[in-house]
Amino acid sequence: MRLLLLGNEAIAYGALASGLAVATAYPGTPSTEIVETLVEFRDRFVHWASNEKSAFELAYGAAVAGARSLTAMKHVGLNVAADPLHSAAYTGVEGGFVIVTADDPWMHSSQNEQDTRWYGVQAYVPVLEPSDPAEAYKYVKLAFDLSEKLRHPVILRSVTRVSHVRAPVEVEPPAPPKWGRFTRDVKRFNLVPANARELRKALVEKWEKIAELSADFITVEGSGDVFIVTTGVAYNYVKEALSRLRVDATVVKLGMSVPVPRSLRNLVGGEAVVVEEGDPVVEVQLRSLGVATRGKLDGYFPRYGELDTGKTALGLSKALGLPYSPPQPPKPPIEPPPRPPSLCPGCPHMATFYILRLATAGLSPVWSGDIGCYSLGINLGQQDLITHMGSSVGLGAGIAVAGKHFVVATVGDSTFYHAVLPQLVDVASRSIPLLIVVMDNAYTAMTGGQPSPSRAIPVEKITEALGLPTFVIDPVEVKKSVEVVKKAVEIVKSGRPAVVVSRRPCALVAVRKARRAGLQLPRYQVDPDRCTGCGLCYNLLKCSAIYRRPDGKAYVDPALCVGCGVCAEVCPFNAFKPEGRREAWLELWQQA
Amino acid sequence: MATSIVVVGVGGQGVLTLARWIGEASLSEGYDVRIAEVHGMSQRGGSVEVHVRFGKVVYAPIVEEGGADYVVALEAVEALRAFRYLKPGGVLVVNKRVIQPPGRWISEEELLGSLQRSGVKTYIVPAADVARELGSVMYENAVMLGFLSQLLGLPMPPSLDDRNREAFRRGARLPV
Ligand code: SF4
Ligand code: SF4
Repeated sequence: MRLLLLGNEAIAYGALASGLAVATAYPGTPSTEIVETLVEFRDRFVHWASNEKSAFELAYGAAVAGARSLTAMKHVGLNVAADPLHSAAYTGVEGGFVIVTADDPWMHSSQNEQDTRWYGVQAYVPVLEPSDPAEAYKYVKLAFDLSEKLRHPVILRSVTRVSHVRAPVEVEPPAPPKWGRFTRDVKRFNLVPANARELRKALVEKWEKIAELSADFITVEGSGDVFIVTTGVAYNYVKEALSRLRVDATVVKLGMSVPVPRSLRNLVGGEAVVVEEGDPVVEVQLRSLGVATRGKLDGYFPRYGELDTGKTALGLSKALGLPYSPPQPPKPPIEPPPRPPSLCPGCPHMATFYILRLATAGLSPVWSGDIGCYSLGINLGQQDLITHMGSSVGLGAGIAVAGKHFVVATVGDSTFYHAVLPQLVDVASRSIPLLIVVMDNAYTAMTGGQPSPSRAIPVEKITEALGLPTFVIDPVEVKKSVEVVKKAVEIVKSGRPAVVVSRRPCALVAVRKARRAGLQLPRYQVDPDRCTGCGLCYNLLKCSAIYRRPDGKAYVDPALCVGCGVCAEVCPFNAFKPEGRREAWLELWQQA
Repeated sequence: MATSIVVVGVGGQGVLTLARWIGEASLSEGYDVRIAEVHGMSQRGGSVEVHVRFGKVVYAPIVEEGGADYVVALEAVEALRAFRYLKPGGVLVVNKRVIQPPGRWISEEELLGSLQRSGVKTYIVPAADVARELGSVMYENAVMLGFLSQLLGLPMPPSLDDRNREAFRRGARLPV
């Protein structure tokens, strides 16, 4: 069957064809669709975990017991799972264990660039690197076989332009899941120093064997004395750049980029141009083998951002001393005004931010933010720091300890379970004064709406158990909520922590459900006679369905409004008028 | 040689779907194809940009600046933003629709006029209007697809439902 598949879907289908039994992940762009695709297959154990470490451990444990298992995450997610990753290399596994990481060069949806392949080097875990969706499909199968043969974990490194590229892929039907059974081996699975020391020696020996196997993944194309070593998505740019430069070269493509095959040294005759996406990981390894390289280390190719055919052609021309003039991009007739990502119309976070602003008026709080849709609160001036999952409470508590700031830590429910739980223990046990606001929209919304544990385990049950005073609000009730939040603010002002849970499901999910149920949403419109152009709605609430007309008055785009009615609560002049009724809609929304 | 297309618009307009349809149509003609989507920070309202390349053999999944044969814009402000992708002699195809960016109001006449006078071969397609006649602006991407089929020589992709088929046909009859 030839299908037009996303790289991530191809990885999922490849895993199914390999007899996958257990798949786990925490969603994160650009890796999400791998497990999203697998969720449909009910004859396997597929799970959205609370974070990557938990996901990793579930899959690792299953593989230790002999099942074929996969865990998927984005590059920064592997940091969270780095601890068990390093142990997994010591113990090895019994069933095939594939760790898929999707790197995000140029940070389309991430807080930093990171090259997962360093983890391969550091943890002694081999890295396979597919160049496109069809190869991703093939490589997952190879990865399972290799992992089982070596009884060792294998990383499959993808990047945005493999994971989120659609291409034709030939797909076979799923194979039955391969489950397992744990066999006791105390010396192998108990990493106490006496055992770990033996395993460390064995690991270093194994690594040399893997480095030899790495040669099985080399493909050589073309001819000529010029050697270009490439891997992953970069291979595609090399192919197109070479035909543009009209130069004969031998292209050596590495399917396994960590560890590089030792035989490469003889193959390329001691000199090569290296083209790779991310950091100079292959290049550094080649230099350590004594191969003279030209690549990122000398600045022929940029060390930030993504490659493309143009950058590759330019880099090759410089490295090889060839003439080349890159295409000149034309200038637009008008400079396009920015269209920054914004909260969806009717997003409950929009109202929550507004409520927080009113309830903390005069305190000039430090807004300690986190990763998720609400990071877009940056457009509202209500996110002063956002650094990683859990930074809201973690850094926020540090800032509160450091000085006399009033700190508001805003975190979503999914991130709360992902990274904030242990931090709460510290905040509660030392009674660190900060206002923790959990924006509970019941989903991991930014990645498309995966389920969050908040339905099964209400946030307030946990915070109350820790002895933290907790208040629950519904953000569409703006005025009422402001009064409640003020109580929490008073507690924090008195030197103790407090928690507000702002609960209303993701508007996008709710709108989808309403459409399916055939429910007509109410819509709000501005009465231009009443609107004074004060700007509260478009400057402070900033609903993305509300525009400022050239005369300063507000205007609602009827195609975008989802009828949350928050604007009507916010406008001091009663200018917003609903068409249709709101009760049934709010009711259905709350159940979404 | 591959044909390189950059498809842009605003989140919620069906940019990904339009790009996927172009890919499906290319595949049904026996071409190799790559569609590079970026799943960005927001679900609604932000700029969306998808690269489509099809031809006998395609390697690179993305189009470089100055490398697109076509820029297809479902929204006119985004056409400005994607302008830099056009190669010399490249063609701009714009839906006659403006979704105002936050904090600025650009008039439709000014915007479309400037594109027409830019020296780049520009088609302005009344896809949003045709779609509204069909009952919903949701069909604007299928109308655009129909119009594009005339330029790209691609057939209707097999997966369209009845309403989108109708929208496609209306687009395919719009004068070029
Ligand atoms: S808040 Fe009310 S009065 Fe102020 S600009 Fe908006 S609609 Fe007009
Ligand atoms: S009701 Fe008001 S605040 Fe809610 S989506 Fe519509 S315009 Fe925006």
